[in-house]
Amino acid sequence: MIMSEPAPIADANTPPGMLEGDLVRLARQGDLAAYDELVKRYQERIYATIYHMTSNHEDANDLAQDSFIKAYQALKSFKGGSTFYTWLYRIAVNKTINFLKQRKNKHHYSLNDIDFNTENNPDLVALISDKTPHREAGLTELQKTLNEALMKLSEPHRMVVVLHDVQGQSHEEIAEIMDCNIGTVRSRLFYARQQLQGYLSEYAKPT
Amino acid sequence: MNQKENNFEELQQLLKLKQQELPPPGYFDDFSGQVIARIRAGEAGVSQAYAENLQSDAPWVMNFLRLFETRPGLIGGFAASLCLLLVLGVIYAEHSEVATKDFLTVSEPSTAAASPMASIGAPALVAASESSGIVASTNPVTSLQPVATLFAQPATPSLFQSVSFASPGQ
Repeated sequence: MIMSEPAPIADANTPPGMLEGDLVRLARQGDLAAYDELVKRYQERIYATIYHMTSNHEDANDLAQDSFIKAYQALKSFKGGSTFYTWLYRIAVNKTINFLKQRKNKHHYSLNDIDFNTENNPDLVALISDKTPHREAGLTELQKTLNEALMKLSEPHRMVVVLHDVQGQSHEEIAEIMDCNIGTVRSRLFYARQQLQGYLSEYAKPT
Repeated sequence: MNQKENNFEELQQLLKLKQQELPPPGYFDDFSGQVIARIRAGEAGVSQAYAENLQSDAPWVMNFLRLFETRPGLIGGFAASLCLLLVLGVIYAEHSEVATKDFLTVSEPSTAAASPMASIGAPALVAASESSGIVASTNPVTSLQPVATLFAQPATPSLFQSVSFASPGQ
């Protein structure tokens, strides 16, 4: 085996408060400890976006890891024209959309459990028990219906809904991530919501 | 636009349920560790692929490197022998420079006598060539050619001898 320079060891002492730009610069130089810190900062948001797009925990896990690895390998091409966060998101979004296109319409659901505390969320409890015809429907049933409705949307429309209504991103951020203008984001969001409302008419009615 | 937003208020509340779908507890504890491990494995894989290419293209190099892995002491020995070869090469180069200078000065009478190499065969060659009118040179092609001018006969005696083909009876 050919001898090579040892890879830098991930150092748990890397300051978590370090600026994103500094971490990116160190990571570009091959500092895996710095990149480890970047992964920790964005892992939950990247995973969540992919999970809501795929409705499959295992796929989301693989795609999220692949996205971070691809981002690390492509760090040298990162010019800094946008924030690292936006750039990373763009990689994850493209990877996910490509994956879904390859998979076509073969959906394999592997849904995460709903947080226990949700059952005590008064808004959601009211939504389920008071305003829907299926009062007996539990959270699990609603979760399944919701995911099925989302999966009926096209990938770009689903992505806009996930980023805006689930993850709370602004129109501007979504436009940058999806490399389109804000008008397109708004129109896609409107269309996607209309579609969803049709699919979920039992649960959500226009006010 | 606000009117449009209000139309989807219930839907937006429903979609908030998605925020509560969380991966198993402790899932993110090791997530970054797995990513870093895969990055390292990928880098190691690149080195491995390079080694495999080398193995197929030049197997002797790999055997040579493996010899060092099994017997690390050989690295020192190999390095020492390389240094020795370098020193010997420098010394040899210096000596050969002196010898070359001596050889190039063979045609000069004063240095020819002093040079041991020139004293062996060069004086005899010079003497023979001078007597026959041929200028001695290190160039084997032109050395046998007589020196001539364009407008006159060569100053040296002719190398050609006239012969007669007359029959004995004539």
